[in-house]
Amino acid sequence: MKFKINRDHFSNGLAQVLNVVGTKAAMPILSNVLIEAEKDQISLTTTNLDLGIRCKIKAEVKETGAVTLPVKRLATIVRELPNIDVAFDASPGHQVKLASGGSQFRIMGIGREEFPQLPPTDGDKTFALDQAELAAMLRSVAYAQSTDETRYILNGVYFSFRDGKLALVATDGRRLALVSKEMPVPAASAGSIILPAKTVSELLHLLDKGEKLNVAFNERRAAFQIDTGKEANASGLVDSIYLFSKVVEGNYPNYQQVVPKETHQRIKLERELFLQCVHRAALVTSEKSNSVRIKLSPNLLEITASSPDFGESHESMAISYSGPELQVAFNPQFLMDPLRALTKDEVFFELKDEVSPGVFKTLESFVCVIMPVRLS
Amino acid sequence: MVLTDGAAIPAAPFFWYAAGFTFGRSGATVWAMPLPVIAHLDADAFFVSVEQACDPSLRGKKVAVGGRQRGIIASASYEARACGVYTPMATKLALQVCPDLILVSHTSGRYGQFSRRMFDLCGTLTPFVERSSIDEGYLDLSPCGCGTEAELVNRARGLQRRLWEELQIPVSLGLAANKLVAAIASKLLKPRGFVVVPPGTEAEFLAPLSVGVLPGIGKKSEAKLKAQGLTAVQDLLALNEEGWYALFGHSWRDIQAMARGEDDRPLKLEHDDAKSYSQQETFPHDVSDFAEIERIAKRMIDELMPKIRADGKKVRTMTVKVRYPGMEDSVAGRSLTEATDLEAPFYPLVELLLRRAWAKRRPLRLVSVRFSGVDDRPAQLEMFAQTEEKKRRLAAVLDKLNDRGRKAVVQHGHQLGKTTAD
Repeated sequence: MKFKINRDHFSNGLAQVLNVVGTKAAMPILSNVLIEAEKDQISLTTTNLDLGIRCKIKAEVKETGAVTLPVKRLATIVRELPNIDVAFDASPGHQVKLASGGSQFRIMGIGREEFPQLPPTDGDKTFALDQAELAAMLRSVAYAQSTDETRYILNGVYFSFRDGKLALVATDGRRLALVSKEMPVPAASAGSIILPAKTVSELLHLLDKGEKLNVAFNERRAAFQIDTGKEANASGLVDSIYLFSKVVEGNYPNYQQVVPKETHQRIKLERELFLQCVHRAALVTSEKSNSVRIKLSPNLLEITASSPDFGESHESMAISYSGPELQVAFNPQFLMDPLRALTKDEVFFELKDEVSPGVFKTLESFVCVIMPVRLS
Repeated sequence: MVLTDGAAIPAAPFFWYAAGFTFGRSGATVWAMPLPVIAHLDADAFFVSVEQACDPSLRGKKVAVGGRQRGIIASASYEARACGVYTPMATKLALQVCPDLILVSHTSGRYGQFSRRMFDLCGTLTPFVERSSIDEGYLDLSPCGCGTEAELVNRARGLQRRLWEELQIPVSLGLAANKLVAAIASKLLKPRGFVVVPPGTEAEFLAPLSVGVLPGIGKKSEAKLKAQGLTAVQDLLALNEEGWYALFGHSWRDIQAMARGEDDRPLKLEHDDAKSYSQQETFPHDVSDFAEIERIAKRMIDELMPKIRADGKKVRTMTVKVRYPGMEDSVAGRSLTEATDLEAPFYPLVELLLRRAWAKRRPLRLVSVRFSGVDDRPAQLEMFAQTEEKKRRLAAVLDKLNDRGRKAVVQHGHQLGKTTAD
């Protein structure tokens, strides 16, 4: 196996697959990248058995073949090579010679036979989506995923293709973010998956390469085929990037029941300004008293926080409000996460009383439900 | 090697300072001479002292606080101790050895109140106060800014005096460079003791004392050591490594460090609130019926949980203790995955823990239930827990009806089998 490749293309390709490595000591091959040379491109594949990524980069292939190399080390070396032209030469004994300008490396690889096969890309159900749109949707909910391993069902983003729309949901049982978009969903293709948190974060890295992506899934796994588009050509990526993932198996909780059906008090907020106020108010909170108190009174919103060991904060904002006075406390992080993830200048915030959830909404069918902290 | 010039010290590596501690005592000029800044305060016969403070006519008499019938003596005045009353001793026995003992029953709430006032007074001397129990605590006196040992002793004496003048609580104080030695020193000359152990003389101080003063060496180990001729701490220090290992196993180095008076535990300063909630019951007659014990334990849960709710806390861990007639205890505990303030999650643990703790086929004299792992953060409400919220609302109503566990207007079904004797 022998090819010539542009250093920056190679480096960029490795960067796409770099994060997906196994840590099992029993399978050292999982920390390797599978490099396959075919016609005028090479493909790079990594997997940790739960998740796999494959991308393709253009290269001048002189001799086809395949080998696996430790991906982290290889990526560091390639990035540092002195010359833009890199010659890659693998001997049948899985030793790789890497030459660029005046530097030469010999790296020990492992044969491809030991590298796990990625599952087929075809699933029962397939949909075509827009990359930028999916990325925005994922960003607007991903922060609400649970990291508590005892609630593994919630350790991911729920994708529901049903009733003429795609809905993405994430919750940790204390807050829930939901965003949806209308799209044709043939009855036969309706279905849902819980995409694991790690896959979500990898997907978010990859969703800026081109316009479209295809998702195919069944009840056990999902595959994403991500177009690399024209601009990506400058980075050497060709064809598509493939992401294969297991899905979280189990029943996602009935999220619809926790989204309040009625609106009680609704206020319109300048997102950035509210975010800054909450952030400042929260500067005095501590792990033990981790809440900010929101108080609504006619045309005034106040945010206060205090911790017994440190002190107090008070922020006020002029708003348009004519309802009754009300107070409710929240974990400040739960308020700031959706405010940071959104991009619109204005958000709606709906409140009822001190034991009912607060709800952020935008005009783009985004909802974030936040359970309060009981006022002491 | 004698340090005579203080100016030479800053350039020297750290161990020079350490060496300076010892040599500093011999009168050499050493700046920042280490002071015994850790004080251990130990109230003398605390419960009795509190009762005496409230009723001065009890002073100077053979008084004890404890339960009647099958209760135990919780605290005894020094006059009573002279007659052979000790704690914990069965009340029945105490009345035998000291027939004119004045038995005062436990006054709920009073001791906690005095304890708070006692530590509040300590707080006027230094902000660094660790309450290790209701009547014992550590003070770090370094913020007093005392330059000499005499000044420090003066301050500590002043505190001892104020505690007596303002609260009529006699206390013993031990001053040393660390918690271990301070605690041993405070207990050396009770009551109203005042012992200062200058830094560097810890080992010297401990050497002649009985091995029993060391924490971790209980009555049984002490007897065992004494049987081998190891009476004083210095006898232990004379042992070689094999000797230490043979006596204490893998933890011998820790015990050796203690015997030398070495201890670097910092004061634990946070927390004012309850660290645990517990209840125990000594039965009038030994009980061998499992169902009966289980019922009692569940009743304790029902009585403790309203208190936990009233404090706005949650708990995670339940520990069940049983005591056999020979005063032999056995415990078993288990934690939930999340803290709760409801009874129900703990009920299923009762049988399990009781079976683990009550392993011997003998009747029980006492059972206790203890909740720990107290979580007092404001409650973050959950989304998928509506039934939980309903249960909590129900509990709030029951708490009101039952006067926070003090009455049994509405009871759980598991209490129905109980005999109506009480």
